[in-house]
Amino acid sequence: MSDELRVDSGALIFATLADVYISSGMIDEAISILKDGLTRNPNYHLARIILGRAYYLKSEPEEAIKTIESVYDEIKNSEIANLYLGHSYRDLAQKEKARTYYETALKINPENMEALKELEKLIPDFAPPPKVERVQPAEPAKKVVDDVAIPLPEDVTVEPMAPSEEKEAAAIEKEGEVISAEQEPSLEQGEPVVQSVRPPVEEERAEEIVSIESVIQEIPEKEIKTEAVPLEALDKPMKRLLDLDTVKGVFISTKDGLLIKNYGNGAQDIEAICASVAAICMDVDESFRLLKRGGLTRCIVEKPDETLCVMAVGDSLLTVVTQVEAKPGLVFVYARKIIEEIEEILG
Amino acid sequence: MKISDFTKIQKVLGAGLASEDGFIIEGQARFEYDMEKLSAISARVAGRIKNSLNVKKASAIIYTQDNVLFLRDSSEGIVFVICQKDANVGLVKIRLDRLP
Repeated sequence: MSDELRVDSGALIFATLADVYISSGMIDEAISILKDGLTRNPNYHLARIILGRAYYLKSEPEEAIKTIESVYDEIKNSEIANLYLGHSYRDLAQKEKARTYYETALKINPENMEALKELEKLIPDFAPPPKVERVQPAEPAKKVVDDVAIPLPEDVTVEPMAPSEEKEAAAIEKEGEVISAEQEPSLEQGEPVVQSVRPPVEEERAEEIVSIESVIQEIPEKEIKTEAVPLEALDKPMKRLLDLDTVKGVFISTKDGLLIKNYGNGAQDIEAICASVAAICMDVDESFRLLKRGGLTRCIVEKPDETLCVMAVGDSLLTVVTQVEAKPGLVFVYARKIIEEIEEILG
Repeated sequence: MKISDFTKIQKVLGAGLASEDGFIIEGQARFEYDMEKLSAISARVAGRIKNSLNVKKASAIIYTQDNVLFLRDSSEGIVFVICQKDANVGLVKIRLDRLP
């Protein structure tokens, strides 16, 4: 078995194997394999965390601290590393340092019950932080964990593990992943260790949630200003048209004859006029398009008692009802001025 | 009043007289305008105005992107004049107002 490992010096399987040894209570074997593997892969920080844990479980907290703290800058976001540093300092009766590491572990995962319990023991009046909803790891992330499982060499015989343990142990192989103590049983010396491994995505998300919440709290609530209803905004430009002496009324309709808004009292049956104007405009538009002479832009329809000045405004029609003696040119000049405003308001 | 009185005006492209059912009675065009089509269009729009707005005589000035079309019911039929959009529309209107 060890020959096999030596042949494939690049393989990081030693961490998986060591974890299995730790789970089986074979701490010395685990330490031996981890030390050997780390000489060939010194930058494999996950293995160093496992080695630190093995030392802690072997009642060698000084070695555990030395091992984990040697790469602490790179693994400071590891929940498990902070937890075992906390345990190690607690065993050395360095309560302040233990507290610091437990608090860090809790910041990374506020649901870490082990760190919570230890803090409660260290600080009698300790109040647990408010629960932060944990984001479940995304499906693809979970798949990655499954995919990175490295089969053990054929001659490696290990004790059968529970399915969840199998998955977790396989996941250790992925460098950079963070070990979680979530759902971990109370770690007494010599007891087999069951660990769960979560993809770093989850921890990052938990951090994001915490930071987003803090940002939300910092943002002052702004007063929401409600804008005026667009149609009410039409009143002002329309009033300018209505101020003309000869203008009896103004109305806006859709090109298919539906009234949008009526101003003034120019006509009694305004909806009928809307439909009529739209029908005339449609006829003209269609006819001129057949001639390939462009569509309608505006028109003046003279009736015995009044004149209708109709203008196309986007998808709408602006109709100005004037007296017979009104000057259509003047009406169009005024109307043209407000058409842009109307277009902007109606979109 | 003759149709040629309209076509003499600058930028007037054509003028004509159409029956209520759209047939051309008389027409003069300066350029390649199809006066039969224009008379049909004029009759159609005039009929629509009369029916929709319930008026006896239709009178309208229609602006399109390129042209201006005048149409007016007269005792002889529907007079229509088509001109460029930068023509003297006011002058054409005055001439049309003189129609019986």
